[in-house]
Amino acid sequence: MELERLVVVWCPELQQEGPRGEEARRFVQVVVRAGELCPWVHPVRLGVCALPARGPARFFGGEEMVVPLLVEAVGEDAHVGVADGLFAAILAARSRLIVPAGDVCQFLAPWSVATLARPDLAVTLQRLGVTTLGQFAALPPPHVSDRFGADAAACHKVARGESGELVGLRDRSIERRLRVARGEDPDLGVEPPPYQPGFFGGASAADTRAALSFARVQERLGIEAVLLGRIQGGRDPAEQAALVPWGSPEAAAATTGGVPPWPGRLPPPSPTLVLRVPRQAEVVDDTGRAIGVSGRGLLNSEPARLSVEGGPWQPITAWAGPWPVTERWWSVRRRRARVQVVTADGVARLLCTERAQWWIEALYD
Amino acid sequence: MSDGNSFWIEYEHMFAFSPQTGPARRSRELPVGLADRVRPTTPVAGRLLPVPPSLAVLFPDRALRRGTTTTVAGLPGHGATTLALALLAAASQAGSWCAAVGLPDPGVVAAAELGIDLRRVVFVPHPGSGWAEATGDLLPGVDVVLVRPPGRARQTAARHLSARARERQTALVVLVDHVNEWPEGGDLALSVGAIAWEGVGRGHGHLQGRRAEVRVSGRRSAGRALECSLWLPAGSGVVAATTQSEDEPAGAGSGDGPEAA
Repeated sequence: MELERLVVVWCPELQQEGPRGEEARRFVQVVVRAGELCPWVHPVRLGVCALPARGPARFFGGEEMVVPLLVEAVGEDAHVGVADGLFAAILAARSRLIVPAGDVCQFLAPWSVATLARPDLAVTLQRLGVTTLGQFAALPPPHVSDRFGADAAACHKVARGESGELVGLRDRSIERRLRVARGEDPDLGVEPPPYQPGFFGGASAADTRAALSFARVQERLGIEAVLLGRIQGGRDPAEQAALVPWGSPEAAAATTGGVPPWPGRLPPPSPTLVLRVPRQAEVVDDTGRAIGVSGRGLLNSEPARLSVEGGPWQPITAWAGPWPVTERWWSVRRRRARVQVVTADGVARLLCTERAQWWIEALYD
Repeated sequence: MSDGNSFWIEYEHMFAFSPQTGPARRSRELPVGLADRVRPTTPVAGRLLPVPPSLAVLFPDRALRRGTTTTVAGLPGHGATTLALALLAAASQAGSWCAAVGLPDPGVVAAAELGIDLRRVVFVPHPGSGWAEATGDLLPGVDVVLVRPPGRARQTAARHLSARARERQTALVVLVDHVNEWPEGGDLALSVGAIAWEGVGRGHGHLQGRRAEVRVSGRRSAGRALECSLWLPAGSGVVAATTQSEDEPAGAGSGDGPEAA
């Protein structure tokens, strides 16, 4: 599974709370200032906060641009690093590194097994002659879980770069501690529910149970793993809806369900599988000539066969369209057309053509 | 004198909590649908979760039973996803939390058209190799979990998840290509067979409805191997029985309530 790419801000001075307790207050400022620059900053433990790297990297033009901006914005003595998964990202921040995507195993290999924060396991491993994470990762997984148990197996997954989350890596009480530092009531709004049921505006026991289970999945798979659907305007099946992370401010505005009318959208039923990455396809007529759409929005011949990504040719039994889509006619003119195609096996697909190339956009499964 | 009497009667009733006065009258004024809306979120709820009226015929209890595993099988493109998502529609509208694990690119608009309350359904589209663990995490928290395993599930994972669903009284819906990809075999197995799209010709019309043969079998089907014909979906995007609107797949009258079933 692909690990979430994270930026970690690590402030060595703020890791221990001193007698005056000002570290927590300064860390609140760190989180706030980082949050003004990039969205989705979440505290991991005192002195450490993390944020997804993908969005800011795209916005600022690369991860190497984001890091100095963050260091400047935070205003403390902060180390910033980028890597796949939380564990590697924290280590990267400690040494102020940007670990390229996919290189997490090579990066972790020279670190000591003590970085896993499991003293018993580290001592045992070192007595066995296994001192680095690379040596630990080289052990076969079944042997590790047989010999050392489930917790060590989780550590092993981290060492192999298959997981970024480790029990104890995140301080579960950090939100509460920061609320205290901000001078708020620590017991108010423990978990802001994304949806307030109608009964006197309170969250029911079922909502709390659901929120706990979603948080557990987020801890396992990353913040962006648990999503809520939201309907918005648009013509494309992909534009009409968005998936937003559960618990985010956008998710609070999730719609009830009705689909608003929008000019240019295809009539219902809508496709149940909307491909994020469209698949290439070829559509030809009886003579094997490629089908195209003319300037008047008509097909130049009758489609007879369809092939998906160079796969076998399937006979087309029915089709509808083309529906021309002219978007952003005021700037770059994109001329596209959509066709619904049913093949002999009964499968219906939504195809799109642009510049003589056919794409499969969605499936009616 | 009569005024004095009525005053004393009122005064007595103030302390006697007689059923004829105040509180009883007020409780009768509560909104009619409130009891139905509140029920699924309470732990003492019945052991049944509602399904859309047109799908009730598929279930021996005419509803999804908590703690059971239902498999929905169908070749890709044959409407199994539509059927599985439709099973979440009525439950989510009634206020139950639902989750869909492993549906890679869910069509949110189609889900809304099927009647799903999007505020009540979370999607975990890319759990990767952690699909069984993620499903196990969600089973205690929500009322219905829809899971699509990536290929044939391991026997241990399947048995573990079914047992956890039974223990936590959650309805587990498993979406697979073939029935035998879920080694345990569901308490109830729905499989989509022959399908035919309507409304589309050679270059005219548009996709309006898919007629599909759905077969019911499994341990809890009470020995009856039922086969029925459904619109998966009908013209408005909802699931409907073909007998109701044989010649017009517009799918009207979907929200008529339970008496339409």
